[in-house]
Amino acid sequence: MERMLNAIVAIVFGVGLMLLYFYGSNWLLDRLLPDQGLVNGVFQSREKQRERIRPWLFVGPALVILGVYLVYPAVQTLFLSFFDSDGEAFVGLANYERALGDSRFVESIGNNILWLIFVPTFSVIFGLVIAVLADRVSWGNIAKSLIFMPMAISFVGASVIWKFVYAINPDIGLLNAIYTGGGNESIDVLQIPFWNSFFLMLILVWIQTGFAMVLLSAALRGVPEETLEAARIDGANEVQTFFRIMVPQIMGTIFVVWTTIVITVLKVFDIVLAMTNGNWNTQVMANLMFDQMFRAFDTGYASFLALVIMVAVVPIMVVNIRRMNREEAMR
Amino acid sequence: MSVRMEKVGDTSMQLPLVNMSPGALLARLALLLIVVLWTIPTFGLFISSFRDKDLLAVSGWWTALSVTERGEAARTGTDEDQVEENGAWFIRGEVFPAGEKEVQAFGIRSTEPETWAPGESADLGDGMTLTVQADGRYELRSPVEFDMNRGRRIYFRAAVPPKFTLSNYEEILDTEGVDQAFINTFTVTIPATIIPIAIAAFAAYAFSWTEFPGRQLLFAVVVGLLVVPLQMSLIPLLRMYNQVSHILPFFEAKSYPGIWLAHAGFGLPLAIFLLRNYIAGLPKEIIESARIDGASHFQTFTRLILPLSMPALASFAIFQFLWVWNDLLVALVFLSKDPDQIVMTSQLRELLGSRGDNWEILTSSAFVSILVPLIVFFALQRYFVRGLLAGSVKGG
Amino acid sequence: MKRKSLTFTLALVLVAGLLGGGLASADGHLMFPVGEGPFHWEDLDAFSMMDLSGEEIRVFGPWLGGDRELFEAVYAYFEDATGADIVYAGSDDFEQQIIIDIEAGSPPNIAVFPQPGLAADVASDGGLVPLSDSLRDAVLENYAAGQSWVDLGTYADPMGDPQYYGFFYKVDVKSLVWYSPDAFDEAGYDIPGTMEDLIALSEQIVADGGTPWCIGLGSGSATGWPATDWVEDIMLRTQPPEVYDGWVTNEIPFTDERIVSALETFGMFAKNDAWVDGGASAVAGTDFRESPAGMFTVPPKCYMHRQASFIPTFFPEGTELGLDADFFYFPSFAGMDLGNPVLGAGTLWAITQDSDATHVFLDYLMTPLAHEIWMAQSGFLTPHKGVNIDAYANDALRGQGEILLAATTFRFDGSDLMPGAVGAGAFWTGMVDFVSGASAEDVAADIQAAWDAIK
Repeated sequence: MERMLNAIVAIVFGVGLMLLYFYGSNWLLDRLLPDQGLVNGVFQSREKQRERIRPWLFVGPALVILGVYLVYPAVQTLFLSFFDSDGEAFVGLANYERALGDSRFVESIGNNILWLIFVPTFSVIFGLVIAVLADRVSWGNIAKSLIFMPMAISFVGASVIWKFVYAINPDIGLLNAIYTGGGNESIDVLQIPFWNSFFLMLILVWIQTGFAMVLLSAALRGVPEETLEAARIDGANEVQTFFRIMVPQIMGTIFVVWTTIVITVLKVFDIVLAMTNGNWNTQVMANLMFDQMFRAFDTGYASFLALVIMVAVVPIMVVNIRRMNREEAMR
Repeated sequence: MSVRMEKVGDTSMQLPLVNMSPGALLARLALLLIVVLWTIPTFGLFISSFRDKDLLAVSGWWTALSVTERGEAARTGTDEDQVEENGAWFIRGEVFPAGEKEVQAFGIRSTEPETWAPGESADLGDGMTLTVQADGRYELRSPVEFDMNRGRRIYFRAAVPPKFTLSNYEEILDTEGVDQAFINTFTVTIPATIIPIAIAAFAAYAFSWTEFPGRQLLFAVVVGLLVVPLQMSLIPLLRMYNQVSHILPFFEAKSYPGIWLAHAGFGLPLAIFLLRNYIAGLPKEIIESARIDGASHFQTFTRLILPLSMPALASFAIFQFLWVWNDLLVALVFLSKDPDQIVMTSQLRELLGSRGDNWEILTSSAFVSILVPLIVFFALQRYFVRGLLAGSVKGG
Repeated sequence: MKRKSLTFTLALVLVAGLLGGGLASADGHLMFPVGEGPFHWEDLDAFSMMDLSGEEIRVFGPWLGGDRELFEAVYAYFEDATGADIVYAGSDDFEQQIIIDIEAGSPPNIAVFPQPGLAADVASDGGLVPLSDSLRDAVLENYAAGQSWVDLGTYADPMGDPQYYGFFYKVDVKSLVWYSPDAFDEAGYDIPGTMEDLIALSEQIVADGGTPWCIGLGSGSATGWPATDWVEDIMLRTQPPEVYDGWVTNEIPFTDERIVSALETFGMFAKNDAWVDGGASAVAGTDFRESPAGMFTVPPKCYMHRQASFIPTFFPEGTELGLDADFFYFPSFAGMDLGNPVLGAGTLWAITQDSDATHVFLDYLMTPLAHEIWMAQSGFLTPHKGVNIDAYANDALRGQGEILLAATTFRFDGSDLMPGAVGAGAFWTGMVDFVSGASAEDVAADIQAAWDAIK
């Protein structure tokens, strides 16, 4: 009971302090720069001044936290990528040169491209299809919960789950039980050249579809019923309504979901680490980085690899700024 | 809003299968197929979590309901167990507790476990015989006194009926300190979910509806930060925490506020990214009319934007909650392993032991830890339906 | 003022109560009653005279679950005698976690490294504190082949000077072949005394329609390591120890024909469809924890399994050591005069944050008693010559202990001594490539390339 109380006090304290900041700072701003009433017969509003400062009160905490927890480490990473494995001696571009001759690096780039193409695409397609279909049936919520479930399973759990699917022993692995049922010799799907990466991707699609579905489903609920009605009255069938009305309406969300999954893919390493550890040509960038960081203790090279992952996201940032501009021009 | 919901529900309810257009039928089947495919792996784990530890490793979960046939081995008693009856010596016993399984055949060499049928007498040479009954009782008979300090092996094929057990779950729930760990996890998770959401919501509003210099660039940086690998930031951060704790005596390196802020930092980019997308999509007219009425940005945000953004806030809350709940790495770095700070994931990890082959614990712990996130999902799902103005607002 | 002092007194009483309670409970879980059994109880006397109350010694190691309890039983006596408080934390991400803690400036007092290579890296970065000369002398004097244990724990400090940093406590023997005595009896097989006999036995088993070996390399993110043990054992049986030492430090490159031929000898076992359960293609994908189970199925899937002394943990439940399962020494070639080499591994105790109590605790671990308490439980071997061998919990442990003491050559697991990028990286993945079809020459070249990259 006492522990529970301690926990509650801690929670209230943490959350309260943050809310106090937002209310307090805004209250303070209003007090410090009050309207001055009529001066010389003209109403002196300091609204403009206040509203010039207020955005900074809004983004302030976010910028501080991001600065400390992400920007600072990121800058340090950039810095370390020019240093040797102990992070002590400056080596210039040696890590960059090394990568070009590193067959595992080249292999990871190739695999990452495959992952970047297939995982976001399939996750978004499945997520969208499920979100649309589930809204039309009475058991939609159950369906959505079941699809969502993989997201809620910890990674350790997920790797056990897929072990029960992929195991070579047909008495344990479901896939091989079906395959050998057809009279074949059992195979290790994680060792099939080229295709083994797809078996790994399947796991991520399985997890990320729930993510896509939740966001897309929320967005679809926002599509005005009148618009859909209008389309139906105009004689559009369900499929046409879907592609001509619904998809364009939620294009923004689709883009956001797609971006998020792309970034998840860039960072994914635990699936590869636990299932194959990059063996049989399944290596990916993030796992290679993890390997260099915590197995080889090569801080310099690991930092360089982290940097490659970070740079890969630049095109996505550019597209995002463009979109932001376009959106604002439209309204 | 609720009206529309019902309408959607009703149309589907009113359409009996026979009246359904082929397209709608197809759509339903497709959804069913996807759901089944998606669920099978988890379902397998679920079944496995109730299975006996030994069966788990030898037969597929899909055979859990059927009788498993497998080869087994047992050992007879030694000469200490023998009794003399009518001039012969006997060792009696059972190869498994009665009623548990059924012997279908037995043998005395591991390569030939099916030499004799139950009830038959196996000739072991020197006048010695062995009989094994279907219920598992055996009798070793010898004309002379037994002299063996090591029991004889009996190999047999057994039919094992399906067996389910709660012991995998009991093992987890009986662990010492698991209740405290449960509370600790909540102490980490709740603020680590609410703090980034609130901070991100304010920032997202500022990024979409206010003007300030460097706005677009800052937003692009936020999106870029999504990709900073967590592993790279742990060491610099912990080092910083340690330094701060040396300077400020009341601040401990491993503390709850420390991990809240860390989780907030790692979760903020995604939160801002998702929420800005949503908040920027709210209709301009609403915000402008509020502003014309003299509401400050703060009032507009708290009274108008926040309620309208419920679906997006709820979606993100689910993901952040999940991430923190299932996190192990951040907790290991930023919290100690003392009873008042250890979280569920670390606690379960302890149970797995150093070499982690305890599948039975893995399976059941996966379901114990999934339960709370699922409840959160259900609880927040209803907020997906946008409040007041649902009909007139364009999505995304 | 008065009120304040009252609060203070109250707090004192509370703290005293807590401490008392703590001591009482520590007393409660002493595993073996003091003064009874085959233990050197007199070793405790020196520590009982010390008062380390209020001293906390934080130990961070790789053990979790059951293994952790075994260690708790060892230090309970130390806590009881001195009043010090040992706080043990374990992690199966030990390698990662210890680096984070040291880099961040919050290391434990003692780190228990499973891999000396990692400890050497940390030492050269200045992360370790040298151990006392008295401890080093005690190891030299009391451990069988004491000099080699001292050498294994001696690394260059940041200035490049060699210092004694690591104390070995808890050792595993790796050169063991496990088998089922019943299966051997029924088939009429004898325990091979030489490698030639072992190879002949494998052929005999195939001729009888069986499969001699179960080999599994799967280990999640560490997949491949069991094969490195095989190669190391074969190296010790085909080459003089000096070649092994040169190989481990890369003075002899991986591509040397002597090493390539050791890889090929391993290939003779593992890449031979008739010799391994499931065929060569199953080797890389089968989890090492599941692989020994094949010896105990009815009918048996295989007859032998080469693995370190810890493997019985993963035998099917109810398997009784000595009765249902036993082991023999992985024999050496009669045709090569290399004696009886033994491959082993162990955990290395190093000080990552100095305190007087920490040194005292390591002195305690050096006493025969501290070894005997773990010996009497399970999974613990020691090269300490002063311990009472009767303390071993069972014949199997005692037998392994004897193999350790009878070794003419003892060498530490080579992959643990190599730099992490090789010993916990390229060597592992290289062995997976090897059993998946790559040639020994190609694999050796790949591993050597990884080694060259970090020089």
